[in-house]
Amino acid sequence: MKSYLSYKIVFITIYFIFLSLEIFANTTLEEKVKKLTLELRCMTCQNQSIYDSEAEFSNDIKKIVRSKFKEGKSEKEIKQFLVERYGEYILFKPLLNYKNWFLWAFPFILLVFSLFFISYKIRKN
Amino acid sequence: MSSLIGFASLVLAILFNAYLIFSNFFIKNNGKVFNLFIRTSSVLTIISFFSLMFAYVVSDFSNFNVFQNSHSEKPLIYKISGTWGNHEGSMLLWVSILSIYGLLFSFTKNIDLKFKQETLLIQSSIHILFGLFIIFTSNPFLINSVIVEEGLGLNPILQDPGLAVHPPILYAGYVGYSIVFSQAIASLLNHNKNKDWISVAKKWSLISWTFLTAGIALGSYWAYYELGWGGWWFWDPVENISLMPWIAGLALVHSLLMAKGEQLLKKWIIFLSILCFSLSIFGTFLVRSGILTSVHSFASDASRGLFILLIFFIITGFGFLIFLLKTPESSKPINFLFINKASALVINNILMIIATLTILLGTIYPIIVEVLTNDRISVGGPYFNSTVIPIMIPGFLLMSIAPILSWQTNKVRNARLYVLGFVVISFIVLIQSYFSTFNTWGVLGLILGIWIILASCISIISSSKINYDFKLLQKINPYIAHIGVGVAIIGITCSSVFKNEYELNINEGDKFQIENTMISLEKIEMTNEINFQALRANFLIEKNKKIVARIKAGKNYYPVSKMITTEAGIFHQWYRDIYFIVGDQKDNNWFVKVYINPFVSFIWVGVLIMVLSGFIGISKR
Repeated sequence: MKSYLSYKIVFITIYFIFLSLEIFANTTLEEKVKKLTLELRCMTCQNQSIYDSEAEFSNDIKKIVRSKFKEGKSEKEIKQFLVERYGEYILFKPLLNYKNWFLWAFPFILLVFSLFFISYKIRKN
Repeated sequence: MSSLIGFASLVLAILFNAYLIFSNFFIKNNGKVFNLFIRTSSVLTIISFFSLMFAYVVSDFSNFNVFQNSHSEKPLIYKISGTWGNHEGSMLLWVSILSIYGLLFSFTKNIDLKFKQETLLIQSSIHILFGLFIIFTSNPFLINSVIVEEGLGLNPILQDPGLAVHPPILYAGYVGYSIVFSQAIASLLNHNKNKDWISVAKKWSLISWTFLTAGIALGSYWAYYELGWGGWWFWDPVENISLMPWIAGLALVHSLLMAKGEQLLKKWIIFLSILCFSLSIFGTFLVRSGILTSVHSFASDASRGLFILLIFFIITGFGFLIFLLKTPESSKPINFLFINKASALVINNILMIIATLTILLGTIYPIIVEVLTNDRISVGGPYFNSTVIPIMIPGFLLMSIAPILSWQTNKVRNARLYVLGFVVISFIVLIQSYFSTFNTWGVLGLILGIWIILASCISIISSSKINYDFKLLQKINPYIAHIGVGVAIIGITCSSVFKNEYELNINEGDKFQIENTMISLEKIEMTNEINFQALRANFLIEKNKKIVARIKAGKNYYPVSKMITTEAGIFHQWYRDIYFIVGDQKDNNWFVKVYINPFVSFIWVGVLIMVLSGFIGISKR
């Protein structure tokens, strides 16, 4: 029991060290563009991200994203712009809005539900 | 002629099954007659499938299905694989594999006769439903109304050796769950008197899971070298559909393993058995209805979709209804306060089901939203990466400590050694990652992968005396499977997190350097093959001024269907793949994209280990 606990503590500590390290990392323009365009759908391809695609459409969007970042726009603003222009379909990662809250909440609902289930079983014993 | 034989034998097979089910209500069949009927109907279905295959092989264009999907100039292997390279043929394959499973199961000995017969009767009912589906909505034996000399050809993207064998293997996985489903229902109907069905179910679920693993891996490997996108998993709806029964099946195999000695978790096992087959049929519905657009949806037809949806509701509804009506009496409770293998497995099972349901919702959410609000949204890779992976990580963590836990008690063996090992690996990976690029997921994945492998190795060494024979192999088999998982995790992590890519505009004779390897574009050539024209760029790879390999990458043009496919060139090394894609020619230069995929081969090796271990598990009595 004791060793299991220490095992857990060690893991959690290491994990949080890692998490905190990444926050301080500086990202360059190209990294920002890559991160965003990976989350965008190439509207003229089949289930391919804009980053991975070489289609005309994708290359245009890549240019737009790059120039918007240079203008100092944030990721959120650029997404907003693209959604207004092409619709939510362009985002591979759905926005957290009234339509999609269930999609994002679902795993947590399941998690909470199963925690209740386990604690119920424990209490029953 | 072969179309007629095929159609007639399919109809006969359905009639035989119908008679069997019908007669079972009135007269008690004796075992011999029953088996004769089941086997005849199975053989008839298989004959039906082979007569379609024969029509493809001899290019019999009087068959409408052959006319639409084949061409006399295709190589023989693609004529054969053309049989299932279309909607109608693939459904016939589905039913044939269902029959093969029924046939094999009818030869099982040493099980309760009533249980066996009821299992086969449920299997026959499924056969009838899907047989009627084929006859009424997707008949592959229709006669061509006009006389033609030549067919229209097979989708070129499907003309690939990997994809020729992918559907039968994948279907062997999907459809295998039918027998697990039938067994679960038969066991419920038998009021759970039959105790040995768990060991029978274990074998069949392991067979299905192993084939499903191999099928998914083949599809994924095909996507890797044929789509030419540099990746191997795209969270495409069709991939998700195959992943759902896979994860649920994994949970099932583990639960059955745990139920070995006692009647533990019976309710859960039956639930999972029904769920696995329901997910398989649901997948068939989503792919075949044409709701999802992908390379798998050959033709969309609303009536087909409705028909499969109906079958899905009948089978799933029937399954869960019986489950609710005849729920097995609750078995011995598991003590979650104990930290042992049983509770670790239960928690892992819960995590797997959460992951499965999350994938399910993510896959169908765009459809739901479109129906309700008329808006189109996408749920793609980023959503699944940020939900499914965090759900799975605690599971992998539990998996890595599982070997030191005992089955019943709270004792932890060799704990100090394991903690020490974990800390050492964490620090080595952390230090190593500081000298290369740092990435949280990368570090986490590497630690988990290495740790799972090492923990399994320690268990193998400490749990067995040195005597090498097959029995030992069977005893350490679970650890072998887990080593496979560890190897695959390392491959998945490295190839997705530490992937590098280079874009170049070059001409013939140009040289360039990528990560201490010299690559030169020697020449570009055009050739005419049997059924396509090929454009190939020849790359010469040199290291330390020595020629290491010559790689060809390019495109194919298929005149029959007027399609262009990308043919990626891959230079395999054990620690990385160099992946070439040739794009268009612009201003006398060719656009070339080069990916460096580190440790990507580990994924296939890991999966291969899992599949082999699956077969070892099946061979166990």
